[in-house]
Amino acid sequence: MMPTEQSGTAAKARVLVVDDSSLVRLYYLNALKNAGFEAEQAINGIEAIEKVLAGTYDLVIVDVNMPGMDGLSFIRDIRRRSESVATIPTLIITTEAGEQDVADARSAGANYYLVKPVSERDLIRHVAALAGAPP
Amino acid sequence: MGPVERHDAHAILVTTDDVHRLCEFLYRRTGMLFDDSKRYYIDRRLRERMVATRSTSFQEYFAHLRADAEHEIEHFINAFTVNETYFYREDHQLRCLTSALLDQAVRNKTPEDSIRIWSIPCSTGEEPYSIAIWLMENWSAVDSYNIEIIGSDIDTRALKAATEGIYGDRALMRLAEPIKGRYFNRLPDGLFQIDPGLRDSIHFTKVNLIDKAAMANYRDIDVVFCRNVLIYFDDASRRMAAENIYDCLRPGGYICLGHSETMSRISSLYRVRRFPDAVVYQKPGADDDAN
Repeated sequence: MMPTEQSGTAAKARVLVVDDSSLVRLYYLNALKNAGFEAEQAINGIEAIEKVLAGTYDLVIVDVNMPGMDGLSFIRDIRRRSESVATIPTLIITTEAGEQDVADARSAGANYYLVKPVSERDLIRHVAALAGAPP
Repeated sequence: MGPVERHDAHAILVTTDDVHRLCEFLYRRTGMLFDDSKRYYIDRRLRERMVATRSTSFQEYFAHLRADAEHEIEHFINAFTVNETYFYREDHQLRCLTSALLDQAVRNKTPEDSIRIWSIPCSTGEEPYSIAIWLMENWSAVDSYNIEIIGSDIDTRALKAATEGIYGDRALMRLAEPIKGRYFNRLPDGLFQIDPGLRDSIHFTKVNLIDKAAMANYRDIDVVFCRNVLIYFDDASRRMAAENIYDCLRPGGYICLGHSETMSRISSLYRVRRFPDAVVYQKPGADDDAN
């Protein structure tokens, strides 16, 4: 691994995708990689916490309904941690489209909220806005 | 090469009666029917198994088989199944899946509900993986439902290969380069291995289509792909398989057969549905639209 960034280009924004469905994770991961982002995955909130504590991410995309630890609990958890972890932007992607669902996501500390189905274009547009445009 | 051993299979006499007994055994176990016209195919596989089990006579092998010594029944069935297929085979049915079948299937579902798609027989995995890839590439609602794709086969050797997910150029010949790049990792020996995330999204199981009790473990299936297997069955086994699948389907669920197969000659339980991309068969449901 090269210790320094390639000259002339910024480092790729790094995105963590958290969803319990491996098919959905793969779908988002491919969309992100196609657009030039670096993308990793976790199967629920518990694994996602381990990942954000161990690495650096510019954005976490997180589903709400997951066994183990759900998406809102994950966001509440990281918001209470040290500044570098607590300030990671989070994008909720869920099928729950009610007003109360959005309000709950806001109060948990989510930065943005998208309702499934999310097209590749919409995903990339919002990820770019929250994590910085890909190189 | 070593010296010719005493149990060299070519030296073993296998009579027509022996072959009949063997075919009867295979038929009762699997529903697969082989007659004298397939004698060469049968003989070759029988001799293979006799050499592998070091049997010196047909009687010895047949006793070994019937006793299921060293899991011989499984090895025997594996030897008789055909596992040649490729990705995106009969893709008009995959188009039909995303242009019609799934839209109908989700009419009675809410987001996050399960959609269950079953590939049986799945052989070495090309079909269930193709379904998953096709959905990610072509179905806009792919992230809104809990999509469960099951791949089942009677052949445990094929299932093992499916789980490993390693393929050569021939299996991938119908896939565009960008798709290969997204869903496969190129191995040093020139082969391709399916992406681990994709592999984890398919649930592989051993199932015998004519085993009613085993089939009862599968329920509420939305779409079954059962292609090019019923051609190996006789009428009675075909009907049994069709009825077993019927019980596995959700009301309104669909079954896709191979291009040379038609349900009307097998069972009257299903209704034929002609979509622009494919002809499929539907289990009638209380609220399906008959048109």
